[in-house]
Amino acid sequence: MGMLSWLRRRRLDDVDLQDEIQSHLRLDVDERIARGDDPATARREALHDLGDVARVKDDARRTWTPRWLERLHDLADDVRYAVRSLTAQPGFALAVVGVLTLGIGANAAVFTMLKGIAFTPLAGVDRSDRLVVVHGETSSGRELRVSYPDYTHLRDHTDAFADLFGSGLATVTLGEGRSARQAWAELVTGNYFSALGVRPQLGRTLQPSDEVAPGAHPVAVISDAYWRRDLGANPDVIGTTIEINNYPLTIVGVADATFHGTIVSYDVDLFVPVMMAPQILVTGQPTMLAERGTGVVFPQGFLAPGVTREAAAARIDAAWATLSADRPITDAAQRLRLAPFWRSPTGAQTFILPTLGVLTIMGVFVLLVACANIAGLVLVRGVARRGELAVRLAIGATRARIVRLLVLENLVLAVPGTVFGITLALRGIPLLIAYADQLAAPQHVFFNTAVDGVVIAFAVLVACGSALVFGFVPALQNSRIDLVSVINEDASTRGAARGRLRSSLVVAQVAVSLLLLVGAGLASRSVDAARRADPGFDMRQVTAVETDVRQAGYDEARGRVFYRKLLDAARADRGVEVATLAAETPLGLLDSGARRVEIQGYEPRKGEDLALLWNTVGPDYFTTLRIALVAGRGFDDRDDEGAAQVAVVNATLAGRFWGGADNALGKRVRLGDDEWRTVVGVAADVKYSRINEAPRPYLYVPFFQAYRPRMVLQTKGSGAVESLVDQARANIASVDADVPVLSARSLAQATRGAFIFFDLAATMLLVFGAAGMLLAAMGTYGLVSYNVKQRTREIGIRMALGASALSVVRAFLGGGLRLGVAGAALGAAAALGLAQLLGSALFGVSPTDVPSFARALAVVLITVIMATLIPAWRASRTDPLRALRHQ
Amino acid sequence: MTLQSSRADARTELLHGTLDMLILRTLQWGPHHGYAIAQTLRAQSSEVLQVEAGSLYPALQRLAKKGWVTAKWGQTEANQRAKFYSITAEGKRQLARETSRWTQLVDAIARVMSPGAAPASKE
Repeated sequence: MGMLSWLRRRRLDDVDLQDEIQSHLRLDVDERIARGDDPATARREALHDLGDVARVKDDARRTWTPRWLERLHDLADDVRYAVRSLTAQPGFALAVVGVLTLGIGANAAVFTMLKGIAFTPLAGVDRSDRLVVVHGETSSGRELRVSYPDYTHLRDHTDAFADLFGSGLATVTLGEGRSARQAWAELVTGNYFSALGVRPQLGRTLQPSDEVAPGAHPVAVISDAYWRRDLGANPDVIGTTIEINNYPLTIVGVADATFHGTIVSYDVDLFVPVMMAPQILVTGQPTMLAERGTGVVFPQGFLAPGVTREAAAARIDAAWATLSADRPITDAAQRLRLAPFWRSPTGAQTFILPTLGVLTIMGVFVLLVACANIAGLVLVRGVARRGELAVRLAIGATRARIVRLLVLENLVLAVPGTVFGITLALRGIPLLIAYADQLAAPQHVFFNTAVDGVVIAFAVLVACGSALVFGFVPALQNSRIDLVSVINEDASTRGAARGRLRSSLVVAQVAVSLLLLVGAGLASRSVDAARRADPGFDMRQVTAVETDVRQAGYDEARGRVFYRKLLDAARADRGVEVATLAAETPLGLLDSGARRVEIQGYEPRKGEDLALLWNTVGPDYFTTLRIALVAGRGFDDRDDEGAAQVAVVNATLAGRFWGGADNALGKRVRLGDDEWRTVVGVAADVKYSRINEAPRPYLYVPFFQAYRPRMVLQTKGSGAVESLVDQARANIASVDADVPVLSARSLAQATRGAFIFFDLAATMLLVFGAAGMLLAAMGTYGLVSYNVKQRTREIGIRMALGASALSVVRAFLGGGLRLGVAGAALGAAAALGLAQLLGSALFGVSPTDVPSFARALAVVLITVIMATLIPAWRASRTDPLRALRHQ
Repeated sequence: MTLQSSRADARTELLHGTLDMLILRTLQWGPHHGYAIAQTLRAQSSEVLQVEAGSLYPALQRLAKKGWVTAKWGQTEANQRAKFYSITAEGKRQLARETSRWTQLVDAIARVMSPGAAPASKE
């Protein structure tokens, strides 16, 4: 019988039976009246004779329905009963739903992020978690791109991959003239789209025929996001031309709407054939695609059927050996590595995963506190329901049935908790991403964080798991009712076991909340430390206005003239103390390209990785950023193309290779195949990419001796930095109105990216910590105050016998404190262990940071004391007479 | 009607079976509504058998399900709406079977209870 027809039929049967019983009743009443009874009596007696109408219906129904449906119906009855008894206590239900919402929401959010990074990192690509990435590795463990010749060899001579494609991220300038902006492009091989299974929504994708000869394929496929955002979803876009780093490319297609490229968190704007790398890369060289020493792409792909990652890694090693036997290279990668996509050396995986790991752990703890909390509520409520449960047992309900009912009640609560939790995650994640997007402007970020079946299944699983955990043990406890004691209404003999459970719940909550608080404390202290940390330069009242003269069609000679005029104009401005140029701004989050360096007097070991980060900077750079000079001088206007070639090194480089700053002056260094330069100054170390980076060697060369078309104008003045930025922008326009301003902001804003992950992680840790603390406080208060309430009678007796209010309070406080201290000790021990895991996410704080622990301990103990004192104080003010009458 | 299965089952089966038989019997002389069936049983048993609605209506449902009776809404003499049950051909056969089994059972019990005595009746 179909479920629906059964239900309909059942309804009809019910109505019919009701009619029939009504008619029975009428006939009976009529006959009684006919016999001479008065109508009221007749009706009463007839009803009496009729017996239990509900049972009639039940029995009659049972006749018609299969057994399993009846079971289901019992279950539905239980659910209905659970809902009814829960709505009778809305406070309890609301508290549990609220707590669950928080716990599940936090976990669903973290899980969604984790999923977006590790499990389904790429939108629009099936099984993207199974992708593997090949990257080069230097002897010092630096991860490098793979050269184009090496990539083609791997693609054509190993059978470990289903289809090995290559991709490399490039920051490019899109458009021309003043409307130009920065964008993210992926340089991809011809099989990129087919290997990923991404189709075009318009035109075509890139194909192997777009990977034939260097420089011969001036085409691009644009992303759906770029097409909609910048081109208004123009359907006639195919065949039009866009300028990438001042090089015209023809748009041949728009990628599928779901696809956002393969660089996690970067919302890629366009895809360009790797063959165009020499033309469109700022560092592009005509022969770069033929050199084994120049990394271009990260080869990626799915493993061929039946090939394990280990086997694939072995084949890559073999390929490397063949390649190196043919054409050895000395100054780049020393071997190839294979990594699963979640450990990809490119994209967000590099900086987000450690943070997410910490957040996952915190999320689990929040849920644990939530569970302990709800278990406490359920337990307390169970005590209040002893009477009802005892009656149910007495009229023959089995213990199993009662446990089932109680667990069911928890599941009923889990449903809204899950729904609200998922809603919370759904609302919260876009906020986080919008925040990140704002920081990334003018580029965009994208995370594949759509809440899908997997996330919902996860949330439901978590919810049901928690419902069972927090519901089952107390339910078991509650179902163990001593009928005699209940009937005697004797509160004092009831369950020592229940008391123990209650105590252990308090201890557990205190412990876990201490853990969360320590985590939150460490996180906030590390953010403070990061903010207060000396990055080695002064970012106050300094601008960072980026421009690229190629967009206005300048060659090097005109570019040099432009920048000289720009510097003069900026210096002449009122309120500007000093102005300079720089190719890179410090604290840029990601390392900009390193270059091979030769150092006088230092013979690199075979295969040593001597590629260093470097920067091209204008005159007065060190003055503008207040970077201290340890020895020698900084660059000034003398260091132009006609003067001797010079360089400034940082203190770490001087110390490591020449044994100190003073020895460094006069020594020589060489970048790549440039001329040798004489070191004229040693600058103090700066945090070049991240605030928590280790000291590393670094090299500065003067702008007019190492021209680059794309530079950042940096001015320092005394006025408001916003007006300095506006002035700098005006300077550029005054020199040539056709030269675009790629970005205009203060240096402080430009460095925010380096702090964002600290900020995000710390904010979430703080939220988790606060949530856990709130939950634990609520839970402890509830359990302790319930305990006090249960002993009202005892308090009454004591006070009637002359005990002072103080002694009553003291007695309870002692008990509460004992539990609090036990929990705190347990929590502190666990926190000591777990804080080590936080290490990677911390900065400037030891995992055993005393202030963090002390603060957390203080908060926890104060909470416990308050949660004990308030109800105890209330109890001590009870009127003894009323207390005695209480039960 | 077996007595070999578990006690509780056998008891309910015995009761059900017996009530079923009694209901079929009252319907032998024409359709009756539920109330009339209850009244008839009470009157004919000299007020000994008081069939509650809680037993009567489930029994009627059971009989209807087995196809031994059919039900139809109609009017009583006093013009009240009521559901009338009538026995089917299959119901009549069932009644005959039940009756003979009942007689055998009663005879058997009688023989056990008063050994040596002549069988109470023989139809």
